[in-house]
Amino acid sequence: MSWLLTATLAFGALSAVPLVSVLAQSATTDGTVTFVTTADPTFNPWSPTAFVESNLINELVFPGLTRWDKNLKPAPDLATSWKVSSDGLKWTFQLRKGVKWSDGQDFNADDVAFTFNDIVLKKELAANGGSTWRNAVTKVNVVNPYTVDFILSRPWASLPTYLGYYAGILPQHKFQGVTDPWKFTDFNKQNPVGTGPFKVSQVVSGASVKLVRNDTYWGGKPKLQSVTFKIIPDSNAQLAQLLSGDLDLISVGNPETVDRIKSNPNLTVDLSTSNIYYFVALNQDDPRLTDVRVRQALLYAIDRPAMIKSVLKGYGQVATGPIAPIQKEYYNASVQQYPYDPAKAKALLAQAGWKPGPDGVLQKDGKPFVISMPTASYQQLVPITLLVQQYWKNIGVVADVKTTDWNSYIQQVIVKREYQASAAWWSTPADPDVLPYYDSSAANVGNNIPNYKNPKLDALLEQGRKTSAVLPRRIAYNNAQALMAKELPYLYLWYPQSITAYNKRLQGMRGITQAADFQYANEWYVSK
Amino acid sequence: MLGFLGRRLGQGLVVLLLISLVTFFLINLAPGGPSAASKFESTAEERAAITKQLGLDQPVTVRYGLWAAQVVQGRFGNSLNGGQPIGPMVVQRLATTAQLGLAALLLSILIGIPLGILTAMRKNSVLDHLVNALSTLGMSIPDFWTGIVLILLFSVTWHVLPASGMADFSSGFSLVEWLRHLALPASVLAFVMLPNLLRFTRSSLLEVMNADYLRTARAKGVTEFWVIFKHALRNAFVPIVAMIGLLLPALLSGSVIVESVFGLPGMGRLAVDAALGRDYNTIMAVTLVAGAIVIFTNLLVDLAYSVIDPRIRRD
Repeated sequence: MSWLLTATLAFGALSAVPLVSVLAQSATTDGTVTFVTTADPTFNPWSPTAFVESNLINELVFPGLTRWDKNLKPAPDLATSWKVSSDGLKWTFQLRKGVKWSDGQDFNADDVAFTFNDIVLKKELAANGGSTWRNAVTKVNVVNPYTVDFILSRPWASLPTYLGYYAGILPQHKFQGVTDPWKFTDFNKQNPVGTGPFKVSQVVSGASVKLVRNDTYWGGKPKLQSVTFKIIPDSNAQLAQLLSGDLDLISVGNPETVDRIKSNPNLTVDLSTSNIYYFVALNQDDPRLTDVRVRQALLYAIDRPAMIKSVLKGYGQVATGPIAPIQKEYYNASVQQYPYDPAKAKALLAQAGWKPGPDGVLQKDGKPFVISMPTASYQQLVPITLLVQQYWKNIGVVADVKTTDWNSYIQQVIVKREYQASAAWWSTPADPDVLPYYDSSAANVGNNIPNYKNPKLDALLEQGRKTSAVLPRRIAYNNAQALMAKELPYLYLWYPQSITAYNKRLQGMRGITQAADFQYANEWYVSK
Repeated sequence: MLGFLGRRLGQGLVVLLLISLVTFFLINLAPGGPSAASKFESTAEERAAITKQLGLDQPVTVRYGLWAAQVVQGRFGNSLNGGQPIGPMVVQRLATTAQLGLAALLLSILIGIPLGILTAMRKNSVLDHLVNALSTLGMSIPDFWTGIVLILLFSVTWHVLPASGMADFSSGFSLVEWLRHLALPASVLAFVMLPNLLRFTRSSLLEVMNADYLRTARAKGVTEFWVIFKHALRNAFVPIVAMIGLLLPALLSGSVIVESVFGLPGMGRLAVDAALGRDYNTIMAVTLVAGAIVIFTNLLVDLAYSVIDPRIRRD
């Protein structure tokens, strides 16, 4: 699973192109559209080198067992139905019959077993998101050619949801005799074979990837003849090409350009919500930040509505926790709130023993409150960090900001955890299971970036995993959200809106989210 | 001459060896590993596994040895970010950059040298001041800005030229299409070179025009046109050719931005992507190829000297 956002921004707002009204326009079956990606993709959703540039293309080529419906619930795709055993340790999936790979071979249970047993669950391969799968799934058994069992080591109610989140199935027959799947470059870089509505027809490194209609797609003939992805890393160039008509759809990273796009009569702008939240992580290895009063004070000191207005031009809402409002069944808004209140922030810090020094900087035991805050020149992280720095300065806390490139940032913050505060964001499937980001076992080694440890939270998140029934899950996750809002393992900033700009001739997207829309690509068409 | 060539080629190989050593060890000192090993959501266990897969768990000296052994056998190895062989990729990207660079060079020469001659002939005229001001402006404006403005004008507003990419020849070659796609990026890249070439031509010519032998020629009654085009230019061209040689690395570095803005699959883009992704093998390949190009063009420039000015050959 491609949690962090690397993924989401470049394409972030591809989400949810709505079902706009079509004014007496008729569809054409030989339509072509042109999208954009930022680098050469890797045609293998599990490859550790498949980043944001590959995700959406792979969605068109490699469907998973499930996909998401308009309510973001798992819906049938390569699997038609599924059930879980009473102890929650075995999930049985019935597979769709009559599905063919784009090279004409039949799809069956062996492909599913191969994908998981030989790729995802093999520790030494370090497949994309493999740790999340290995955390719960031990093996996939073939029951018969169209039935598989997922054998789990611990209950995982979110399994059907995760099977629809960049979890494409690979063709076993193409990997016969391949010793290292990541070095199978003919497949991964040029000639992949999938079961999706489109198949790769031409790859020009650094320039474009052309996908053409897969006429053997089980869901019927796709309405578009081809989808071309141009490779353009520069966001300004992307915008210029959208305006010139060379591109049909882009995600808008800079909200200031929205008005310019709206002024073009051929283009429209769509706003949608996604399961993304921005945060400031406070490293719990620093004893100063383990005091919950300090964490709360640092959040009270940040004027989040003002930041949303300035950084996002209003396209976002204040975050209360890791479960976004898009998850209507699980989102809990009735939790502790932190309206901008610098006076309260100062009072809380005073309670924690931090008193102003002669220069206005807070001090404790003779040491000034200085926090190292590395950031990366990536998307909007720098302005966010500088604004937070300014707000904290107002209450006497000094954030020592250092800006690096994205790669160095990851090395410092994620790998080495050499930071005290840092702004970033998580993007997850629309599922309340956020255990990998909060569980004590994920501190230092996993996605629990702030190294936060709380047995009560661990228990609640584990409880949420144990049942698929909505009500007990809701109770567990509502309690977890209340606890997180009080404890602040991360300082929650906002849920951004995704901004998509697209040519009005492009029709037929369902308007769900980025990932979900691409799972229904066979329905896209262009109007004449 | 053969001795000269052999000596220069030998020197070039030594320089390439030094470049490879310095680059290899420097990139390994830079923070952050290859993107594959540093993906945000990867766990520590996954990072360790990927590091091992890529052979990055071995000492840097061992890795350099393994890499150098590959290169000696004529291979650049595989990309760390995707696994594909680097050699064919570099060749493909080089073809794009070569087209772009040659078009920009041609534009710069065709416009810059005549304008340089003209402004030298009309020193301190209105034209001279105007061209001088424009070339200063050209040198000051960043190429990414120029690129975006040209796209907005020619692609977005007037719809006369494509905003990005190379021409698609899958259904047959078309010279018009090729030129249409190259026009904007080559023009932007030419801005890097043209002002320098123009100014250098002007100053070089002005310097030669005060030489004694030209005064003599004028005294003998040779017309000013012949003084310049037959006598002065021949000598002025030696430093101009040198200047063109010196500007070639600038063309290569200029292509980095231009290729990104115009979505061209060239060496510049490859270099940027490799550097951002810490794709060590690709960085090494791009560096070596770029180094070889610079060394080779310098050699060509030296050879061109001797053609333009036979005295150099005699020396």
